Amino acid sequence: MAGMRLDDFIEDFQRDEAAEKRRLAEEKSYEITEYLDDVEREFQQAVQGDSMFGSTAPEVFVGRSGYPDVSTGVLSPMAADSDAADFATSGDWYQKGYQIDDVLQRRTGMLNSTRSAKVDVNDVWDGFVGTQREVAIADHPVDVEVGLDGTPDIDLSLDDVSTPTGPRARATNADLAENPHVPRPVEKTLEDDDWQAEGAMTYLYRRGFDVYDINTILSAGALGQGHQRRLVPTRWSITAVDDTVGKFLRGGLQHSDTVDQVSVWTNEYMGNRYWVVLAPGNWEYELVEMKAPESVWNPAAANYYLSSASEGWEGRTSYVDETAGAYYASRLAVLEHLHERDRQAKALVLREVTDDYWAPVGVWQVREGVRHAFDGEYGVAESFHGAIREIVPQIPVPLGQLRRKSDLVAGLQTSITDF
Amino acid sequence: MFNAIVSADTLRTTLDSVSVLVDECKIHLEADGLEIRAVDPANVGMVDMRLSSSAFESYETDGGVIGVNLSRLEDIAGMADADQLVHLELDEETRKLHIAIDGLEYTLALIDPDSIRQEPDLPDLDLAAEIVIEGRDIDRAVTAADMVSDHIALGVNEGEEFFYVDAEGDTDDVHLELTREDLIDLTAGPAHSLFSLDYLKDMNKAIPKDAEVRMELGEEFPVKMHFDIAEGEGQVTFMLAPRIQSD
Repeated sequence: MAGMRLDDFIEDFQRDEAAEKRRLAEEKSYEITEYLDDVEREFQQAVQGDSMFGSTAPEVFVGRSGYPDVSTGVLSPMAADSDAADFATSGDWYQKGYQIDDVLQRRTGMLNSTRSAKVDVNDVWDGFVGTQREVAIADHPVDVEVGLDGTPDIDLSLDDVSTPTGPRARATNADLAENPHVPRPVEKTLEDDDWQAEGAMTYLYRRGFDVYDINTILSAGALGQGHQRRLVPTRWSITAVDDTVGKFLRGGLQHSDTVDQVSVWTNEYMGNRYWVVLAPGNWEYELVEMKAPESVWNPAAANYYLSSASEGWEGRTSYVDETAGAYYASRLAVLEHLHERDRQAKALVLREVTDDYWAPVGVWQVREGVRHAFDGEYGVAESFHGAIREIVPQIPVPLGQLRRKSDLVAGLQTSITDF
Repeated sequence: MFNAIVSADTLRTTLDSVSVLVDECKIHLEADGLEIRAVDPANVGMVDMRLSSSAFESYETDGGVIGVNLSRLEDIAGMADADQLVHLELDEETRKLHIAIDGLEYTLALIDPDSIRQEPDLPDLDLAAEIVIEGRDIDRAVTAADMVSDHIALGVNEGEEFFYVDAEGDTDDVHLELTREDLIDLTAGPAHSLFSLDYLKDMNKAIPKDAEVRMELGEEFPVKMHFDIAEGEGQVTFMLAPRIQSD
């Protein structure tokens, strides 16, 4: 039998690989369907014909469609013996090594008991919204009794910024089954209705609250000046907290010394590969994302899909439209690292989304992926562009294409005093 | 002491050349006119501006420095028609600037000059290439480049003696070549530098379309752009630091 021409062989081989990837994606979606069947059974057991659902709620969810009339919900695990705290999105998920399946399992195992509500919630501490807000500000999962109206809608709602949510059921009411404990700093921000939301967010951050906690508190409309306290859709709230805390950290570094060498850090989490390059100079930051062709992220294309956004020393003046929540999540992670060292730098984050990232788990994955890139070893390079040349063979796009997309790769901003 | 009368048009043009970079600045009151030097907070763009006393209807001062909020002063100047006169008088006691426009009186609180960021000296750079170009050609290049990219390369082809502009976007490119004939003047030398369009767009706003702009360029070096305002009674120099690849 005659051999194949090498280029044909390679082409065929690549086609097989593409088919294999499609098969995997189908398998994954069967897995999701199976989860959802389990979820439905769990739900039947949990509710058991009774319309009252007793559970422990670690988190809340605020939808964005129909704003300012939104769907707002209490999230609680259906399995009675579960550790409710472990169902809430946090950096612990990374520490525990959770993969996409683990996240989807937890999220589909939680019931989102929702009601529609007006976002204007200043002084609303009773009824369903009141209970929901108590859950949001408490420092541990809260026992609640939820009255449900009708059967749940078993579905999985995926979003690139928010963590997925599972089955939803309409709630008639919700009551606290205990008196939740609210941490002192949260009480302080809550009581002061003359405090701008941005200031209150950074205050909580400085008092050791991670962005996950602050996001939930902000989402429940518990921060800001009294007349402006509103429920904030979860998706918006995540980005607002990353942005606000990031600005606070950036402001603190504007007059700091710069890092004194070019360092390269890397990490891989849930099929996302990160490269972070820090170089001497005034603060500049850019995120470049490369999404694999034929993945769920970029299904139709034959080439990598590139997106980017950047900022200079004074930050951005316009909204980030290409990389959305990932921009602020990864910027926060970089700024936290620099804040620890009290140094400013020029920072480039490259994110390669492979097709192993088969379902979106939310932007927390980016935040933790970049945060933990700084845990390990790092490489040192002579120059920023020298580092880029060494990284390029490890990423799926050539230097020319990267240079067209990336402001930092095209050239680093110098200052007048450099000359 | 400072007491001067100037046309609203001249005042606005003067302020515009500085306000594209900073919100507040120091104005040096010199015997032969006003001098302003300012650098943006990121230390990337710089302006050096002089307005001669002969640009004024009347001009008297015994020297000194005042600090002003530029957008406030621009708003006030914006109240006048282009050919209306603006009367500026410094009240030494209260450290306020009295501004009168045809019966309208405005008292502007000044800023302590010491609280305004120290401006660096304009660095003396030995830039190999120099062109003289019309303001409208800069406008055309910047506008086209902005359609495809966030940055723009300015350079001179030494061998073939032309000035060029390059912008590379994700998919689209812009290229412009201006030969000696298209320019007012050209001194060829090795020059190629990349600049942020955010800054260049702002500077472009302050360059009159009919101005003759003397542009000095080098290899990954800042660009200097010199031009006149107020019918030759004012001189502006912009300097912009490049984005570089050699780092």
